[in-house]
Amino acid sequence: MNSSNITITLPGELRFIRLASKIASNTASLFTETRKTEAENWEFAHAFELAVSEAFTNAVVHAKKQAAPQPVTITFTLEERKLTIAMRDSNVPFSTRTPSPDPENYPENGYGLLLIRTVMDTVTLTRENDTNIITMSKTL
Amino acid sequence: MPQPPLRHPGNHNNAMKTLIAIKEQHQSWVRDAFPNMHPLLLPLCNKPFIEYLIDFAILAGSREIRLLSDGSLMEIEEICQTGSRWGVELTYANIRPEDGERELLHKNRKFCNGSRTMILNGYTFIDYDKRLDYRVLANHSATGPIASCSTGSIAFAGPPEPAADDNPLPALRITPLDSLRSCYHIAMQILETGAERYVLPGYGSEPGCAIGRNVAIAKTAEIRKPVSIGNNVQLLPGTIIGPMAVIGSNVIIDKGSSISGSIIFDNTYIGEQLEIEGRIASGNTLIDPESGASVAMEDPHLLTGIHSATNSATLLRKTIHALAAAILILLQAIPVIILYPLLRLQGKWKNGPITQQAGLAETLAARLSLDRFPLLPKVLLGQLAIIGSAPRSNSPGCRPAVFSYAEAEDWPVTGSDAAIVERYHAVHSTPFNDIGMTIKALINRPHKRNAGAAA
Amino acid sequence: MTITETTGSTHTIVTICGTLDASTAPDFRNSPAIADPSRTVVIDLDKMDFLDSSGLGALVGVLRRKQEANATILLSCMNPPVRKVFDITGTCKLFHIFDDTDAATDYAATYLRGR
Repeated sequence: MNSSNITITLPGELRFIRLASKIASNTASLFTETRKTEAENWEFAHAFELAVSEAFTNAVVHAKKQAAPQPVTITFTLEERKLTIAMRDSNVPFSTRTPSPDPENYPENGYGLLLIRTVMDTVTLTRENDTNIITMSKTL
Repeated sequence: MPQPPLRHPGNHNNAMKTLIAIKEQHQSWVRDAFPNMHPLLLPLCNKPFIEYLIDFAILAGSREIRLLSDGSLMEIEEICQTGSRWGVELTYANIRPEDGERELLHKNRKFCNGSRTMILNGYTFIDYDKRLDYRVLANHSATGPIASCSTGSIAFAGPPEPAADDNPLPALRITPLDSLRSCYHIAMQILETGAERYVLPGYGSEPGCAIGRNVAIAKTAEIRKPVSIGNNVQLLPGTIIGPMAVIGSNVIIDKGSSISGSIIFDNTYIGEQLEIEGRIASGNTLIDPESGASVAMEDPHLLTGIHSATNSATLLRKTIHALAAAILILLQAIPVIILYPLLRLQGKWKNGPITQQAGLAETLAARLSLDRFPLLPKVLLGQLAIIGSAPRSNSPGCRPAVFSYAEAEDWPVTGSDAAIVERYHAVHSTPFNDIGMTIKALINRPHKRNAGAAA
Repeated sequence: MTITETTGSTHTIVTICGTLDASTAPDFRNSPAIADPSRTVVIDLDKMDFLDSSGLGALVGVLRRKQEANATILLSCMNPPVRKVFDITGTCKLFHIFDDTDAATDYAATYLRGR
């Protein structure tokens, strides 16, 4: 089975969130399946738009203090009906970021990971050599 | 750039619209009883609850239906989608728990579009009849609730459709769907009288007998109507289904069992030689709809294999039971020596209910379960177990014993339930667990007898 | 993202056009009718094509501050992608959501009049 790879590096700044999520949803639209309904195809693309928007925001917002913004690298792996995105940033480790909020109180922050986990099939968070990697995938 | 698909605006011909508003608080009992079931899909006679509402809306001439919830709509939206399955246009919107009819109409004003609107509010069952014409509801000028009950109502808003008709409205009754008990009674009622009133799933050569797809019925299995059976069901030889039985989908009824006055929900296995009467069975739980009492079996099956029962006759179990019997003999010996002659003289050495005039001796004898004393030596000889099945028969799956598991369990002891509980424990109980159950039986027995006297 | 405000006597209609995310949330928060806690607003989401948790957080934060000052937010014309985010996070319970902006403004008028 052939798989294709696309790698993009963006500056770790808020103003590039939209660009990152649009690249993700456009890449996901390459997967339109004629056997699926228009709604299902659109859902697939929107899931990536949302997940990448959340993940990129997370990567940018948790920048190390008093450091210049670090670049964020996004790798897309396109298999036959599955898209996997891996996002790498060199900011503070995942484990030191705010934990999941108490949903009963409807807080302002912290829904990001919940949203990613709900719309994606698999999500993994790892840290390698000072780099945080979030990997998410979804199959159409 | 990908765009979300357009929701087609639908008919503009001002046909009546329907709002179905079901709040989480009314459905929460379903989540507690059946954790993996969405309340709107609760099957009543193998037809999901929401389909009854949709059928009624269609009978009333409504094709555009909006589902309103104060909780998450994602699950139900994924299952029901656009409603094309039923020939309606289904949309979804969020409301707040405290919203009343006024708020519902405000929040869905664009959907209602000035047309007559029917609001089905609450988790209730509508007693309608498909042979009647409910389109008069759309043509009528009455507004406000026309039927209500403790947990919901049917109300109307908006002007009547053209050709206003003030003929009397058909009588409509709604029943609250607020507990397993009401769910059970409604399902039984549908089974008994509903074949004509509702569109029910299944194929049947005669009314009162609806059977789904891929149902394997053994030659010696018997079906006594009225009965409703789902899809992918196996009825093994010697089973008797009905009267008044609802069997869900993906169910196996093993050899020789009988089901009557009961509902077996999806994905349930009923073991051999069981009598299920007046109960609800779901997965590994058996429920009495009237009292709400339930027994959960650890296995995903209601299990009673004959082969398993004989395996449990191990040396360890026999040794431990004998030890327990020996201890019990020692403990009871002195009270027996004192009380037995007294009670023999009084003619009260019988295992009857404790009356108000029970003397001290009799009460003491009952509390210590001294009536079982003569049987204890048999445990030492290996002829009986200390705890198992009673009556102490030798039928397959039974382990004859001094006390019975049913006496230990706080379970309404009718014959069939006792058999299930006893055989389950006979298979799954460890010898040490048995000791605990014996002590429980010793404690519970006097209570049972008291309850028997009081009843 | 662009924000348009139409000020009425008792409330303001705020129309959001575009995306509400971490980069545009500050502009949203600084919009006059949003920033004023005592002003009730009807937020028209018809032209909002995308919302993520940062945008949602901004809405929840503004709702809280307004409620403390005896005002509120009413949302109207939510699109499916936006509704999904509210649904997953359970925040749909916090807001009054209308399918029509006029209905929302009428309700705002009654709501305000009633108190």
